[in-house]
Amino acid sequence: MSGGIARGRLAEERKAWRKNHPHGFVAKPESLPDGTVNLMVWHCTIPGKAGTDWEGGHYKLTMHFSEDYPSKPPKCKFDAGFFHPNVYPSGTVCLSILNEDSGWRPAITVKQILIGIQDLLDQPNPSDPAQTEGYHLFIQDTVEYKKRVRAQAKCYPSIVI
Amino acid sequence: MDDSNEEFEPLFDYSRIQPNDVVPLDDGLDASPIICPKKRKTSEAEVEKKGQDGNVKDAKVVNCDDDEDEEDWLPPPPKNLDNSSKIHKEDSTLKALRLKKQELASFAQSAEEVVKAVEESVRKDLIASLQSSPNSAPMQPLEPTHERQKLVISIQDKKDGPKQFRVYMDDKFERLFKMYADKIKLDVKKLVFCFDGDKISPTATPGSLGMEDDDIIEVHVKT
Repeated sequence: MSGGIARGRLAEERKAWRKNHPHGFVAKPESLPDGTVNLMVWHCTIPGKAGTDWEGGHYKLTMHFSEDYPSKPPKCKFDAGFFHPNVYPSGTVCLSILNEDSGWRPAITVKQILIGIQDLLDQPNPSDPAQTEGYHLFIQDTVEYKKRVRAQAKCYPSIVI
Repeated sequence: MDDSNEEFEPLFDYSRIQPNDVVPLDDGLDASPIICPKKRKTSEAEVEKKGQDGNVKDAKVVNCDDDEDEEDWLPPPPKNLDNSSKIHKEDSTLKALRLKKQELASFAQSAEEVVKAVEESVRKDLIASLQSSPNSAPMQPLEPTHERQKLVISIQDKKDGPKQFRVYMDDKFERLFKMYADKIKLDVKKLVFCFDGDKISPTATPGSLGMEDDDIIEVHVKT
């Protein structure tokens, strides 16, 4: 039954997204090889903000929704090994609004999550590190940190250019 | 004397033979004395004394009651029988109707098939004639335009809000792209259009991409 609620909400989210979403962002439910759509997994793209070291990157992110959504937040994952102080080595994003016990509210939309993660890219939260490398460079070696961020942006080129 | 009478009475007292339920019916007819068994007994005792006529009357009355009872109780079964037979008759007529309906439906279906076949053959003929005679070509495109489905698509660039365009479901995107490029005064070759993160081929159509009303196309300017 809760699964019905989750799918109903996700169908609404998708409908709203198709009609209105920020430029450069992508969020679409997974298409299975047999042509059916899996609403519980979404493939997304977050563009790096213009004017930051993240600009030019189009970062792939996967959202995994549980049957308990929207009571529980989706798990948001970049590729494993993604360079960012608040991203676990597995790629899972550590963000207060994605934490069931912290900032998550069922009213938070997919769009708000993606914009929240875009903000997090350039504004890491040093009080909640999730990986050592990104965290240490961010704290100790800003030059090297920026270099790594810009290098990573080039690994996620836009499909356009 | 009363006691002896009472001893004999049960043999002739119809009130005892008849079910108590029936007693109220007596009131309606006449037999006013029959209000309660005791009174009746006394009245009947009196009647016996007066003569047999009274008894006969009483008996008749009771018989009438019986008759009435029979009329009340017996008639229903025949009615039921009538009803059931009617239902059977109705059933059979209904069946007949249904059969006729099915027949008609099958007729209609076959008629539709015939019409379809005719339409198809006409279409084929038309296409063939169109291919042979270019003069009649203008006539052909007019027909499908009535059926062509329209939808509204927004094109969104990086700075401004979405601009809405009304397009045909089966219209190739190149026409829309050209229109948009002219509007923003840029070469269409410098623009890339994306839907759901995928580049849109100029030869694709809204229908082929499964687009719906108010879907957004993103436009990126090549640098």
